[in-house]
Amino acid sequence: MQSWLASLIRLDLLLESVAGLIALAISHYANKAYQLTEQKRLSDLSSGFIVLSAAMFGRVIGTIYFFILSGDGSGNANLMMAVVTIAYGAMKIMAYVLFAISTRPTKSPTLEGGMVLLALPVLVDPNLDLVAILVLIVVVIQALMNYMSTRSKYAAYVLAGFTLLLLSHVVAIPAQTQLGGYALSQVVQFLGFIFFLVMLVKAGKE
Amino acid sequence: MMSPRRSYRSKVRILVDMMRTIKGEGEHGAGPTKILYGANLSYDRLTQYLEELVEKELISETEVDAESRVYHLTTKGNDFLQEFTKVERFSEAFGIEI
Repeated sequence: MQSWLASLIRLDLLLESVAGLIALAISHYANKAYQLTEQKRLSDLSSGFIVLSAAMFGRVIGTIYFFILSGDGSGNANLMMAVVTIAYGAMKIMAYVLFAISTRPTKSPTLEGGMVLLALPVLVDPNLDLVAILVLIVVVIQALMNYMSTRSKYAAYVLAGFTLLLLSHVVAIPAQTQLGGYALSQVVQFLGFIFFLVMLVKAGKE
Repeated sequence: MMSPRRSYRSKVRILVDMMRTIKGEGEHGAGPTKILYGANLSYDRLTQYLEELVEKELISETEVDAESRVYHLTTKGNDFLQEFTKVERFSEAFGIEI
């Protein structure tokens, strides 16, 4: 059981690291696009992906550090992991809020409204996947509206990516009691990032 | 019913529309009138943006005679258009208008 759990954690950290790298690549490209076009929303999108990437790498490093502290028998390990988990949840929600702001339809809530939304993870318990789900529902609806109006395959990849991110949070809810659900959540999240990567590669090549 | 098309064009979008019009004319190049209609511009803005594109070496100006000029896309301009097309696809994927 213990070795199975260790393998699961190793796989989880590997998937999270690769997803973090993909998020970093998207952030870089969105920033490059912003430099070329000066479209502020591309800058917001870039910020969203960089926050998400930082959250993922923070969790990977935090988890590794947790095992080092646990091995030393330090009592701070659990506290440190609790902080990492809260920061991870809060940063992810902030990233999703930035996605919601950057991909919103042209006539939509003002930036002031967006700034209030950015404070959401601080105002509510970030451990709740429910908050992430609510924000991601908005993002998925916006991605769906974009796909319906453009019928572009690139928009379809983004829609698939955000839908899988949403699904990863949905399957994570029962994961607090089931380890299988947790693993599934990580795999679904990873698949979402694969769709983003495919979009990035195809948009840059074709 | 309102048109779904954008009512506002960013400066980079206008410049790209001009460059695409020039590219569309191939090796013959495009005259100012063709660019004006192709990019849907006023004459004042056309002159201002043509100067800017020439200054940035994205297009080149050739004098046919004392009264007429034609514009060609430079290699740098062609590279810029290719990069912009990629950025356009990326932005469109996220529903971001540029």
